[in-house]
Amino acid sequence: MSTNLAFDVPESAPRRALQIVALNGLFDEMDAEGVLRHAVSEVLREDVAIVSSFGADSAVLLHLVSLIDRRLPVYFLETGKHFPETLTYVETLTRHLGLANVRWLRPDPKDVTRFDPRGELWESDPDSCCHIRKTEPLDAEIANFGGWVTGRKRYQTAERGVLPHFELTSDDRIKVNPLAYFSDADVNAYKRAHGLPEHPLFAKGYRSIGCAPCTTVVAEGEDPRAGRWRGLNKKECGIHFDFNGAIAKPVAAVEKTLFKDGKFIADPFRAWAEGDDPAAVRYTHIPLEMFVANRAAVLGNPHPNGLLIRAGDAIEEVAADLGRFASVAVEFPKFSDGRGYTTARLASERYHYAGELRAVGDVLMDQITLMRRCGITAFVVVHPATRKALETGTLVTVNRYYQPIGSAEVPVGTRPFLRKAPETV
Amino acid sequence: MYRYDEFDAAFVQERTAQFTDQVMRRVRGEINEDQFRPLRLMNGLYLQLHAYMFRIAIPYGTLRSKQLRKLAFLARAYDRGYGHFTTRTNIQFNWPRLSDVPKMIEHLNEVEMHSIQTSGNCIRNISTDQFAGAAADEIIDPRPMAEILRQWSSLHPEFSYLPRKFKFAMTGSANDRAAIKFHDIGMKAVTNPAGEIGWEIWVGGGLGRTPMIAKMIRGYVEHENLLAYLESILRVYNRYGRRDNKWKARIKILVHETGIDKLRDEVEAEYAQMKGGVLTLPQAELDRISAYFAEPPFELVNATQIDVVKEKAADAPYGEWLERNIHSHKHPGYVSVTISLKPIGGAPGDCTAEQMEAVAELGERYSFDEIRVTHEQNLVLPHVRIADLRTVYDRLVEAGLASGNAGLITDMITCPGLDFCSLANARSIPIAQAISHKFAAPERQREIGNLKIKISGCINACGHHHVGHIGILGVEKKGTELYQITVGGDATEAAALGDTLGHGFVADEVPAAIERLVEAYIARRETADEPFIEVYRRVGDAPFKEALYGNA
Ligand code: SF4
Ligand code: SF4
Repeated sequence: MSTNLAFDVPESAPRRALQIVALNGLFDEMDAEGVLRHAVSEVLREDVAIVSSFGADSAVLLHLVSLIDRRLPVYFLETGKHFPETLTYVETLTRHLGLANVRWLRPDPKDVTRFDPRGELWESDPDSCCHIRKTEPLDAEIANFGGWVTGRKRYQTAERGVLPHFELTSDDRIKVNPLAYFSDADVNAYKRAHGLPEHPLFAKGYRSIGCAPCTTVVAEGEDPRAGRWRGLNKKECGIHFDFNGAIAKPVAAVEKTLFKDGKFIADPFRAWAEGDDPAAVRYTHIPLEMFVANRAAVLGNPHPNGLLIRAGDAIEEVAADLGRFASVAVEFPKFSDGRGYTTARLASERYHYAGELRAVGDVLMDQITLMRRCGITAFVVVHPATRKALETGTLVTVNRYYQPIGSAEVPVGTRPFLRKAPETV
Repeated sequence: MYRYDEFDAAFVQERTAQFTDQVMRRVRGEINEDQFRPLRLMNGLYLQLHAYMFRIAIPYGTLRSKQLRKLAFLARAYDRGYGHFTTRTNIQFNWPRLSDVPKMIEHLNEVEMHSIQTSGNCIRNISTDQFAGAAADEIIDPRPMAEILRQWSSLHPEFSYLPRKFKFAMTGSANDRAAIKFHDIGMKAVTNPAGEIGWEIWVGGGLGRTPMIAKMIRGYVEHENLLAYLESILRVYNRYGRRDNKWKARIKILVHETGIDKLRDEVEAEYAQMKGGVLTLPQAELDRISAYFAEPPFELVNATQIDVVKEKAADAPYGEWLERNIHSHKHPGYVSVTISLKPIGGAPGDCTAEQMEAVAELGERYSFDEIRVTHEQNLVLPHVRIADLRTVYDRLVEAGLASGNAGLITDMITCPGLDFCSLANARSIPIAQAISHKFAAPERQREIGNLKIKISGCINACGHHHVGHIGILGVEKKGTELYQITVGGDATEAAALGDTLGHGFVADEVPAAIERLVEAYIARRETADEPFIEVYRRVGDAPFKEALYGNA
């Protein structure tokens, strides 16, 4: 089954999604070789590439490649920011495994000269640094394939807890994750069993190795990837398209304004700016009227994006498309303007939007409980006292609710009819 | 009467803690006045001319004796020994200190009272017929549903920041004593062709600078669907009500600008989605709440005729009080008693701590522990045995509360006006007092009969002047306080807005101008029983205009 994954047939997306999901039942959890073989020979024949960071545990996947087909294209992003040890390791592994098609991708020198002449962009604006050094070079290549193989594993970060063997991405490509079920121990055991060479930095405490400036040593017991973009709301590198490579800011410069899941994190999204291209933006909250006017372009845009619904916007106009967005921002222009509460309830209750629903604008502590009850799960907060209250968990609120809000808050027919006490909040 | 269960108590406790925290943050300067304002307003705290004003909710105007005693305590401990009952059947204290307010709220907690949503752009205290549960003419006691609506609207997360404040009124009787057509939403219990009782819904009434009579939006909503229907209206209003202009933000303007038919369609579309959902009110819940409002254990006594003529002959003030201040009860042998807070020369609606205690005592002993507050700023003992009337009256005389003037010319509604209110253009209480003195003689008041005067100190119309048979509105012209007089308003089921007949009067001229209107009426009535408002409807405004301004 060769795949020519086109954007212009969105109707077929649900069916494809089903087919992909079905593939996930075919293989034993640990049958990485079976998964990769099936992907390469059936699902994505002649239409698949491997992207490897040549990091601490990249050897496992590359070893599998060498078992199946040494001529498979393996991309390595030579960002110009790697540890010298990494570059040596690329050569070591290539030789050791006999890989015949390792392709080094370098940033466009013109971009580097223009945007990062002093090589310090990673510090001031890692968004753009990753963009010119990873996303741009890889995008161009990846466009030629119907899918690619990654070495991602479930255990690596919280977000990957549900990683399957096969995934369909938002831009209708297939991602194959043969090692999805491998644990840290499985990786080490595999490396030992097959006598694979170790990354030179592994012995020095590095576990997840990316570009030098953005990688730190992982503490004992810490999530291996915690060392990458430490402190940033950035868990995935842009090359997986799960995360905008072009967004993280360095630890020092970043302002963590997004309150989500109980803590402040760096906001992966940015606001729409004058002159942005709806077909090409990424991790941007596209204003509703902009989306309505450029619907086809936005739906064809392969990147994760958000939608901004301003007070007064009619959410029903975009009800059917909400699912396309990774985040929906509900604007509260002034805390006293309560239209956003209705918008949020409509999004979550009536249109069953399940992604991140965030409050932006004049977000103050006294309204946060109300917002939460209306389905909002994330808050962009700048007001100092509110930040403090959230950070320290000292938000003083009323946690008993009289009225059933949301489809989940009070099951129909339960008694007493109108109430909800905190035990079940 | 409704009593808090653990849940209600804990809810109010949490809210108190939250508001105390907000007050302390304001005191510490962590929030500025702009940020504090909506928070304190949502807890009934206003910044007035001289001090903070603290308003306490009396849900659907019902009080127990213990609660009224607590209000008396607050009046003594934190105010100047009195409180002021408002046209929303709430009570407000005009002189508390900000730092005392959390303590006052704690005290209120002890007797299951609070100040939640007595102001702010949210759903306010729901008002209803002061004779609910007692009146002979009601088809249903509206209070259980009012309590359900109170709970539903308490800190409603979607409707806490509406374009503007939102007021409900309900009546279970065809004789509208709750002014439902002058509320954002008015509800009247009606019987459908199948003989079931439900609610007729009116929307977009209101006074203020653009007075409007409500329009009927739906003729019948079943109990079980009422919350879903009301939530639909509120949602449409929250989304589309104007927020660009405070003076155009009430739902009446949305009704007016959208048109009732289009608005009805929008509400119906929303209702179609909501109906049958989580807001469906189970009969069991309605029954559970209704049980709190079960009839008290009335004694079986024979209907007793009150012979007013005989009583008058024996004791004129008592007979007159009986004639005016008694309302017929559904249970034989009982009546509802109106306690007038409009003594001659007093400030309408004011009540001293001692008076509150006296009424609390009477309520406890003679009215099954129930007291009501009326939107006309009086108090009511809803269930008094006819046999106890004389005793009750004598106690009221002792307390200075025995004015037999309910519904008469001196039973005026008056807003606080320039003496307290920072928005006022003119004083209103002194005007009421001057009129009260002018018509002090009981014989004169009786000769005039039913006549409602309502006075507001500015266009915000808190004194409901538009719906007074005679309305008085304070305005400011070139630095002087002037009073516009309107004639022909009516807050009942025959809802009407008064007409302005000409230029305003300075304060000193007002009592005489009222006197002339009264004379014009008496001269034209066909029988002594034909009330002012009916004469006005019959003869039109010309004679009244002439009475006010001469034959110009
Ligand atoms: S990982 Fe760091 S150095 Fe590498 S491209 Fe991104 S920002 Fe630049
Ligand atoms: S009518 Fe005007 S003066 Fe009177 S209380 Fe209301 S706002 Fe104040």
